Amino acid sequence: MAAQMTTTKVPEVRDLTRIERIGAHSHIRGLGLDDALEPRQVSQGMVGQLAARRAAGLILEMIKDGQIAGRAVLIAGQPGTGKTAIAMGIAQSLGQDTPFTALAGSEIFSLEMSKTEALSQAFRKAIGVRIKEETEIIEGEVVEIQIDRPATGTGAKVGKLTLKTTEMETIYDLGNKMIESLTKEKVQAGDVITIDKATGKICKLGRSFTRARDYDAMGAQTQFVQCPEGELQKRKEVVHTVSLHEIDVINSRTQGFLALFSGDTGEIKSEIREQINAKVSEWREEGKAEIIPGVLFIDEVHMLDIECFSFLNRALESDLSPVLIMATNRGITRIRGTNYQSPHGIPIDLLDRLLIIATSPYTEKETRQILKIRCEEEDVELSEEAHTVLTRIGQETSLRYAIQLISTAGLVCRKRRGTEVQVEDIKRVYSLFLDESRSSQYMKECQDSFLFNEAQPSQMDMS
Amino acid sequence: MSCFPVQGGLILQGANSSCRNSTMDSQRVMDYLTEVEVAAEDVLADKQQIVDLDARRNRNREAMNALRNNASDNGNYKVKVCFGNMFIKFPKESTKSMIQKDQEQLEQEINDLRKGLKAKVNRLNDLQGKPELRGYNLSPLTGDELKAMNSILKR
Repeated sequence: MAAQMTTTKVPEVRDLTRIERIGAHSHIRGLGLDDALEPRQVSQGMVGQLAARRAAGLILEMIKDGQIAGRAVLIAGQPGTGKTAIAMGIAQSLGQDTPFTALAGSEIFSLEMSKTEALSQAFRKAIGVRIKEETEIIEGEVVEIQIDRPATGTGAKVGKLTLKTTEMETIYDLGNKMIESLTKEKVQAGDVITIDKATGKICKLGRSFTRARDYDAMGAQTQFVQCPEGELQKRKEVVHTVSLHEIDVINSRTQGFLALFSGDTGEIKSEIREQINAKVSEWREEGKAEIIPGVLFIDEVHMLDIECFSFLNRALESDLSPVLIMATNRGITRIRGTNYQSPHGIPIDLLDRLLIIATSPYTEKETRQILKIRCEEEDVELSEEAHTVLTRIGQETSLRYAIQLISTAGLVCRKRRGTEVQVEDIKRVYSLFLDESRSSQYMKECQDSFLFNEAQPSQMDMS
Repeated sequence: MSCFPVQGGLILQGANSSCRNSTMDSQRVMDYLTEVEVAAEDVLADKQQIVDLDARRNRNREAMNALRNNASDNGNYKVKVCFGNMFIKFPKESTKSMIQKDQEQLEQEINDLRKGLKAKVNRLNDLQGKPELRGYNLSPLTGDELKAMNSILKR
């Protein structure tokens, strides 16, 4: 309660990444680094990828210090080598106060919004503005509340309200309005209430512990609180973090503030953005706001086309720009929307601005560890042999396929009323579900019996 | 009072690491601890001061209300005012203005204390190696600005 400073939770800026069911990366709790930024072999759900994690840790530090706003990082590596996991790890270790926005490269293609609009909205979602609200409140436990109604039945009521804290007690005279709101809130002796001095709004915090009785007939939701300490008239300061995008939305007049709830924001005029930028920088100069550059994570960045890339180039130059983290699993490939080939499918001029982190395939030991962590996450018990077999499968086919087998094998095991997944269960699901290479093998063998087999496979168009 | 855990943990920690070292070291630890304690005491004293001033402010407010409400049964222009341990009959109007002035002064004093308290809490945090509180040095938005932001803040 030091000087009544309360830091509220960030308004859900990042519900997308936070509220996850047992998703593919729900076991990631952070980057798994120690204080010296050295990665531990297995920690916080992260396994291996030591070099990449060390690099990500450095970037994380710089993000926390707010040093590298407007920089970009590319995480590149083969499929299933933990690129998204590292990004999630960064998101988790940033904590509640730094905005983190995640989107997949293909999400920006929509009929309702231009690509660049979707990108600029994502950019602005990733920038937080910290502001402070200051109110004078009267906070205390109601000792007595006395309301006198005039005998005639009409006319002004008068009343007295006695409030106390642990240190003092005082009597307030009540006017008509206050009496009304007190009766509306059903305030009675023993309640702990706050009164906003500026607006006169009354808020019930709960009932005082000293008034708790066993035989009191009270609703289940009655909360018991301590009698407030200190002075009666307090100053309450609340720090909020909002994203620039949220400010944009409430100020974009055609939408009204309802747009924020429906999620359908449409396009926001660039004039509005400029006005907001001007206002926010004015606030910053007056010491009323702090800018928190957050993180924008674009997965599958090779899905962006050349227009988006040139937009990114320009957007990174802006002084209100978050840290951009991108991930791709492509090698040298065509840049979408052009006929040029480029590493990672990203134009050279953008690549030049990036810090590139490479991830490498997992070793057998690491695969084993990851499978173990996933088993715990999915609540499946695995026998030692089954674990070995699964690791083998993970090495020979793909890690994702092996992870898929965990829950399916768990289900098979439960069907036969077993407690621990055995090798047979794994074998069964292995025969039930094909992995990618077996599937394509099967395709090649039985090509003739499928439909439309006479057409020779043309060159696949990837645009 | 419980929000400044200065006494317990720190002394124990300091004592453990310094006992086996030379007296120079223990002197340094003592100095450091004294400094922390002084800073903490400073904060606590200020907080108590605010509480006391607020109690006085509330008593003044009650007095003002009493003066206003007794306006009906007037006839005597003087009221009894308690100075120290003596009651003195004093003209109503001048009593009012006196309390009003006192009230303004109290308000000002509380404000100043609160402002100073922030710096002191920050210094204490700094001494204890705790991170500075976030958003501490911001100045508040004005009412109009807050009204504009309300739809974001209070969903």
